[in-house]
Amino acid sequence: MKQVEEKEEASVYQRVVLKNASPYHYLKVRLVLEDESTRLSAVELKYFIITGLKSLYGEVGAALNFDVLKYDEDTLTAFLRVYSRSLVKLWSSLTLLGSYQNKACAFRVLQVSPFLLALTGNSRDLQLD
Amino acid sequence: MPEHAHKVFADSRGSNLYQHDVDYKTKHVSVLLPECSSAPSHLDSVLNNFSSFYLIRKLPVYELLDRHFLETAVYHGAVFGLSYRTRIDEDTCVALMPNGHLTLSLDKDSFEILGFEGKPSRFKHRTATRFVVSVDLTDSSMAPGRRSYLRLLTGLKSRLQLQTDFLLSHHPGGGASLQPLLSRCDWSQHRPEVNCSVLTDLSCPAPRSCDPHNLLMGYDIIAAVSFLSSFVCPEPNTIHRHALSVSVSGMLLPHDIHRLLQELRRYVEQPRLASWVSMTVRGFADSPVSWSNHEHGFLRGGENFYTLMMFHDHTYQLHLATGAHDVCPP
Repeated sequence: MKQVEEKEEASVYQRVVLKNASPYHYLKVRLVLEDESTRLSAVELKYFIITGLKSLYGEVGAALNFDVLKYDEDTLTAFLRVYSRSLVKLWSSLTLLGSYQNKACAFRVLQVSPFLLALTGNSRDLQLD
Repeated sequence: MPEHAHKVFADSRGSNLYQHDVDYKTKHVSVLLPECSSAPSHLDSVLNNFSSFYLIRKLPVYELLDRHFLETAVYHGAVFGLSYRTRIDEDTCVALMPNGHLTLSLDKDSFEILGFEGKPSRFKHRTATRFVVSVDLTDSSMAPGRRSYLRLLTGLKSRLQLQTDFLLSHHPGGGASLQPLLSRCDWSQHRPEVNCSVLTDLSCPAPRSCDPHNLLMGYDIIAAVSFLSSFVCPEPNTIHRHALSVSVSGMLLPHDIHRLLQELRRYVEQPRLASWVSMTVRGFADSPVSWSNHEHGFLRGGENFYTLMMFHDHTYQLHLATGAHDVCPP
């Protein structure tokens, strides 16, 4: 839907509304491990998520394209990007990933948004002590 | 299928461009200044002088209906507040707007116990599980002593006994009106937190020519590990040697954001290396109301933010983004 409105004083406004138009969804996830001293590199994390996709959705699931945009090894927090149509598959496989190297683990999905900018601030993280 | 409405006002001229409807529930504002490594002093002083706000622990919500509080604060449009660390999809959320509207977002049981008129949430499944009670405290029917007022007061005081941590803020000069309420509660004062970082070798798409979705990238969080990601900066793009990213978070007042906006306009109008600045303002994800007092919800995300890109030639682009449980902003 596109609207062009003429206003007086030579100012021109154009308004464009896009609905559900983002091709990607972005996730902010944190890996919580039973053994808190374990560290993963970015490559290991990506491989770990691929194994989760494979165990739930098979080879076709494992071929699902997703990107690790940013990864913090200290907090095990990652920003992932995935096509919107594959969001449910990725999210469900992260939910059901329960063990890493035979130790219990869990993925906490902190934020999901079609806008990457939304992931840079989360009002639910506001801590006032 | 949920909707993600997203709007762009492109290339508008005029001296009064910033007249969109104000969203009072602002949690975070961030500014990106390309080709800049330290904030100019005027900008710095605006950023460090955002108004402080209060956090009240376990506020009994019926206190917001106190006669003296209404007369000295609410009727003057001086105060607004939001429940703290309550999730709109799970807990009861409370919002008080400067226009005197008190909004409660409740689950079904709490709504039935409260016993006051309300509507089912417009974002609902087959059966209504959340209800919204919206009351105009400045209306004559809600004057202290009237039937509706007493009914709500009884509901909040005796039936539901609603208590919540509450963020409270006031317009400049309205601080004294809050003191009687604060003296009855456990409260603390807080200042918004300011964070600065300098980004180097930042690749940004050319603002005027790219797709709106590409523009809503958080450049300051992208440090992609190339072999794990096929993410590339959209073309056409420019590389900025350095850029300053400043963010302020807390409960932020519209007039402070307006001052920041004016300062940014002054900054970008001067001849500089970079021809644009951007300001992103994010609302609370768990606020029961958003733009124009419309209902706001949280489905997969509670995003309600806008990014204003201002250019050297007095034009601007405004990008508004909302989540699935939101009404299209005006």
